[in-house]
Amino acid sequence: MSQISRRELLRLSGLSLASGLVLAACGKQTGVVDDGAIARLGESPSTTALAEAEVTDVVLLRTAASLEYNAIDTYTAALGLGVFTGDLSAATDFAKRFRDDHQEHADAVNSLIRALGGKEHRCANVRINDLYLSPALALITDDKNENVGVDVIALAHALENLAAQTYQGVVDLISDPKLRADAIRIGQQESRHAALLAQVLNPGIASMGPTNDPTTGKPNIAAIPAAFGSQANIQLTIGAPKADGSRTTLLLETPSLNSLVYDSISC
Amino acid sequence: MLSEDDISLLVAAQALELAARDIYASAVSRKSKSDEEQGLLELMHSHHTAYEQTLNGVLSKRAATERNAEAYTKFFALLSDASKLWATLLELENTAIATHTAIIERLTSAKHASLLASITTIEARHAAMLASLTSTNLDLALENPAQSLVTQ
Repeated sequence: MSQISRRELLRLSGLSLASGLVLAACGKQTGVVDDGAIARLGESPSTTALAEAEVTDVVLLRTAASLEYNAIDTYTAALGLGVFTGDLSAATDFAKRFRDDHQEHADAVNSLIRALGGKEHRCANVRINDLYLSPALALITDDKNENVGVDVIALAHALENLAAQTYQGVVDLISDPKLRADAIRIGQQESRHAALLAQVLNPGIASMGPTNDPTTGKPNIAAIPAAFGSQANIQLTIGAPKADGSRTTLLLETPSLNSLVYDSISC
Repeated sequence: MLSEDDISLLVAAQALELAARDIYASAVSRKSKSDEEQGLLELMHSHHTAYEQTLNGVLSKRAATERNAEAYTKFFALLSDASKLWATLLELENTAIATHTAIIERLTSAKHASLLASITTIEARHAAMLASLTSTNLDLALENPAQSLVTQ
C-alpha cells in the first residue's frame, strides 16, 4: 500500500490542478484557427512603459518643494476669500506671514535641488491637490457652510501638519546627513506654524496640550498634541453639517510613491 | 550598529535633554504659575523626560550619565528671574532644537536622525507656544536665533 500521507496527497492534487490550469490558459487550442471571427470588445491600446521612477534625494526634495506650493496656493486662496474677520482677524497676519515663509522654503528647497544637479520644481503637487485640497475647498466654499473662516484655518492647520510630517519623514529617507538637517529645519518651522494655527482654532493655555471633546471623546486640536512628531494620517473635519449632523472628515497622508514628484514630472 | 561618532553625538543629545528635564523640574517645583500654566510646564517636563529616556534606551550601556552642565548652569541661573520664566524656557527649547539639528547634520544613522527630527518638531511647537506667552511678535515664535551647543 502506498505510504503517501493525506497532507501529501492534497498537496499533489493541488499542484496537478494548478499545472493544468496554467497549461490550459497558455496553450494554443488544437484545431482552432484564429480567423478574427471571435467577437471581441474593443481594441486593447498599445502601452507605453512608465519612466524609471527612482526615489532619490532630488525626488524627495522636489516633492517637498511641491508641497510648499500647495501651501502658498492655499494661503493665497484663503486670503482671497476675505473671511478672516471678527475673531479671526488675527489670522490675516498669520496667513500672509506663513505664505511668505512657504515661498522662502520653496526657494531654499529648490536651491538644494539645483545644488544636487536636479531640476527645480515650482508648482503644487497635483495629486495632493486632487486628493485633498480641491475636495476640501469645495466643501469649505459650499453655500450651506456657515464656518468658512474657521474651516479655512482648519485646512491650513492640516496642511502645515502635513508639511511638517513630510519633512520629518524624509529625514529617514534622505541619504546625505546635511540635507536631512536642511529638511528638518524647514519642518520645524512648519510645526511652529501648525502650533500657532491650533491656538487660533482652540485657544488658551489649557488647550495647548492634548485634550478631548467631552461630548464625543475625540481629541481636540492641540498645539502640542504629543511628545514626538507624528507620522499618522491627519484628520480634517470641515464643511456644512450633513443630514445626520456630522461633518465631512478628510484623511490627509504624507506623499507616498504615487504622489512623489519624480524627475520626469514637470509643472 | 551605531558608530562611535554617532554614539558620542547621541550622548550629547541625551545630556542636553537631561539638563532640560531638570530645568523644567525646577520650574514646575516653584509652583509660581496658574493651574493652566503649571499644567503646561508639567507637559513639557514630561516630554523632555521622554526624550531623555528614549535616548537612554537607544544608547543602552553607552548612555549619558550626566546632564549637560553648561546648559543646566546657564538656564538655572536665568530661572532666578521669575518674570523671565517663559523667555528662559523659550531659549532652552530653541537651544535644544539648534543642537539636535546640528547633531542630525553629523549623524550617519538615518534612523537615529529621524528620532531626533521627531523630537525637534515637537520642541519647535513648545517654542512657539512659549513665545506666544511672551509676546505677539511672530518672529519670536517662528525664528530660532539660538546657537547649537555642539560644533557643526
